[in-house]
Amino acid sequence: MTTQEVILEVENVSKGFPGVKALDCVSFDLRKGEVHALVGENGAGKSTLMKILSGVYQPDSGTIRYKGKEVIFSDVTQASKAGIGIIYQELNLIPHLSVAANIFIGREPLTPFGMLDENKMNADAVAALNKLHIHLDPKTILNKLPISKQQMVEIAKAISTDSEVLIMDEPTSALTESEIDELFTVIHTLRDRGVSIIYISHRLEELKHIVDRISIFRDGHSVSTDNFDAIDSFEIVNRMVGRKLENLFPPKQNVPTTEKLLEVRNIVRKGILHHISFDLYKGEILGIAGLMGAGRSELARAIFGADPVDSGDVVLNGYKVSIKSPPDAIKAGIAYLSENRKEEGLAVKMQLSANITMANVQEISRRFGVLSRSREIEATQQYVKKLLIKTPSLYQVVNNLSGGNQQKVVLGKWLFCDSKILIFDEPTRGIDVSTKYAIYELIGALAQEGRGVIVISSDLPEILGLTDRILVLYEGNLTATLTTAKTTQEEVLNYAAGVATSDKRTAYKADQKQTHTQTRTQL
Amino acid sequence: MSERMTETIKKEPSEIKGTVGQNGGVLLIRTLEKFLPFVAVIVLFIIFSLTARNFFTIRSILSLALQTSAITIMGIGVTFAIITGGIDLSIGSVIALTGTVAVMVARAGVPIWTSMIVGVGVGSVCGLLNGLMITKLKLPPFIATLGMMMIARGVALTITNAAAYPAPEGFGGLGNGTILGTGQKFPGIPIPVLIMIAVAIIFAFILTKTRIGRYTFAVGSNEEAARLSGIKIKQVKHVAYIISGSLAGLVGIILASRMVTSQPNSASGYELNAIAAAVIGGTSLMGGVGTVGGTVVGSFIIGILTVGLTMAGANYYMQQIVIGLVVVGAVAIDQLRARK
Repeated sequence: MTTQEVILEVENVSKGFPGVKALDCVSFDLRKGEVHALVGENGAGKSTLMKILSGVYQPDSGTIRYKGKEVIFSDVTQASKAGIGIIYQELNLIPHLSVAANIFIGREPLTPFGMLDENKMNADAVAALNKLHIHLDPKTILNKLPISKQQMVEIAKAISTDSEVLIMDEPTSALTESEIDELFTVIHTLRDRGVSIIYISHRLEELKHIVDRISIFRDGHSVSTDNFDAIDSFEIVNRMVGRKLENLFPPKQNVPTTEKLLEVRNIVRKGILHHISFDLYKGEILGIAGLMGAGRSELARAIFGADPVDSGDVVLNGYKVSIKSPPDAIKAGIAYLSENRKEEGLAVKMQLSANITMANVQEISRRFGVLSRSREIEATQQYVKKLLIKTPSLYQVVNNLSGGNQQKVVLGKWLFCDSKILIFDEPTRGIDVSTKYAIYELIGALAQEGRGVIVISSDLPEILGLTDRILVLYEGNLTATLTTAKTTQEEVLNYAAGVATSDKRTAYKADQKQTHTQTRTQL
Repeated sequence: MSERMTETIKKEPSEIKGTVGQNGGVLLIRTLEKFLPFVAVIVLFIIFSLTARNFFTIRSILSLALQTSAITIMGIGVTFAIITGGIDLSIGSVIALTGTVAVMVARAGVPIWTSMIVGVGVGSVCGLLNGLMITKLKLPPFIATLGMMMIARGVALTITNAAAYPAPEGFGGLGNGTILGTGQKFPGIPIPVLIMIAVAIIFAFILTKTRIGRYTFAVGSNEEAARLSGIKIKQVKHVAYIISGSLAGLVGIILASRMVTSQPNSASGYELNAIAAAVIGGTSLMGGVGTVGGTVVGSFIIGILTVGLTMAGANYYMQQIVIGLVVVGAVAIDQLRARK
């Protein structure tokens, strides 16, 4: 439980990289047995500080005191030996090894003959998992487990090295609601055992369940540290962005029409999607909610032709179209902004211009497939301006752009295709508050222009704040079609968890002429 | 080479915008680094001109270009395969097969030029088969082209019964001809060198200025992103391997023509030199990165080292050691650069 004893203290630490001062005289303290949230926009310096604490970087100046002694960790091993563990957003595990092998990697117990002591390793792994009240077979191969369980393995690994400080970087970004609850239980267990936790997250609403104190970073400075009870969410956001942000969502711009743009009929992908039908209207923003594995992305990918389907029809503007592959979908005017931008959205080694034009190279081609440099520059400039992409040049390699700007590049790519239907899959994951706002505005503007927009998101406040109607999926079934203005987070969750079902056919017809009120969310 | 330079020059103005305010020196170093392989060629050239007698003569330069033409043309082809994220190990064997087929077809009475086109066509077919194995059977490119390497070699040996057959009259023109020769003073530019220059220009253009070139990079940089952007991945890969196979076929008939015989055992191990040339020139085996100009420079580094070391009196084994060190060194420098 929280005491006043400070286990880790950072004082006036600075760290610069060529051209950037990532941390500028930052101070921060962590008490024994507390969960301390660290929030800030991308580039605020959170990750840099975490990397210094875990030994990846060394500070340029300033002091770090750990258990009363001044320390500088020259590498990760030193930090972890001292008892500081870190769990990155991208898990650091080996998919083809067993749970136990992952937990004890690099420090495997040996028999007197120098062979691997599998029995001891498995027994110790069970013990480590039990401490967290997790029940897993230590012999399971890691990649057979869902992400949430893999994360538990990562935590068990950190705990088994007797970590006293545990840093968690966006631990919930890949988890479903119920998995998040499970994670929070584990965090509570850890706190009760006296482990101090630094918790980094973009999702402010989840902090209230676990956090004791909160520190806010902005532009490489530490802005404030408060007891979590003493500060409200709007104040947190204001301090993060450094200016008043009245609202998390822009005022509603679009007015849905009654003109059907897209009709999806009885899409079936065996074992994954079961007879899903819905309509999308011109000027409408339609949300798709559901837990992880409910088939949200799969539904989008089925419409886009990215995955094969077993049956089902897609009707565009009243005409049935056959979409068998992404090129068919793009020709029909459908865009799909995939969930993982680095894996599926961007060619990160290529230039900004090449990425913007990637899905519509025809547009910048002359005869015989020869590219027109000037048309490419023109197109790129247009979207860099329109989307306010921050880049030193049009030819910047995309890998060197920040996450928010990368997301804007993906957006630019699909805007350049002049798509009539845009499917956004987790458009704001891992993106800072002000870029989020810009993306929401853009989504609104796209719908206002008469396009149809589908937004898939795990972030319920986002779905509620942005959309006109919401489809809720549960295990590949459409369990409800709700009117956003008339629903609540609880109702959506009930349908998403399969607790309730509704007659989807009557649900939305009745609600076509609703008026839209801005859905404010309590963070 | 020229393509690489103009590329660099064109890119600079835009990058200046981003960096000049912060650090002009960094930009200078970056520019030098980009030219590094090219600078290496010049430095090597100067060193050998000073240490090996007769190195810096028109005759030896032409002979160097002629000797390097085979690996350069192959290297350009395999660069396409490598940029898609693949590899083509079959090109050495395809050279032997295509040369052999061209000679055998010509011996059967088919006109020389037709038989040569047949030879190149066999190379294209081998490339297409590689592509199909990779896209339809989902084989890793290493395995598919390793198989093709063995099969093509085996077919070449089978149809000739492992013997070398002389080619008919006139078959040697392509490999041994020259143009612009003035007798004693200037021996003329060998036709293979002209072909090499033409191939370099055409394929540099295809790679950097056309849609298929753009798609080649996109597939190698991120296959799934390219697929979801509507790019037909399989087609792009087929084209890359057909280019690789066809250029190997072209080298096959050039070499057969130079020797005026079918040599089913020829060009063994050439594929590794071609891959080495691409890698020295900055092509990444991870895919998504590479230039034709870089591969040309890489080939010439290997060529100059081979010829220069021979003329400087180093034996074959020594040459192998040096070239091995250059391959390792070139990639190490690239890695260090990437880390910065």
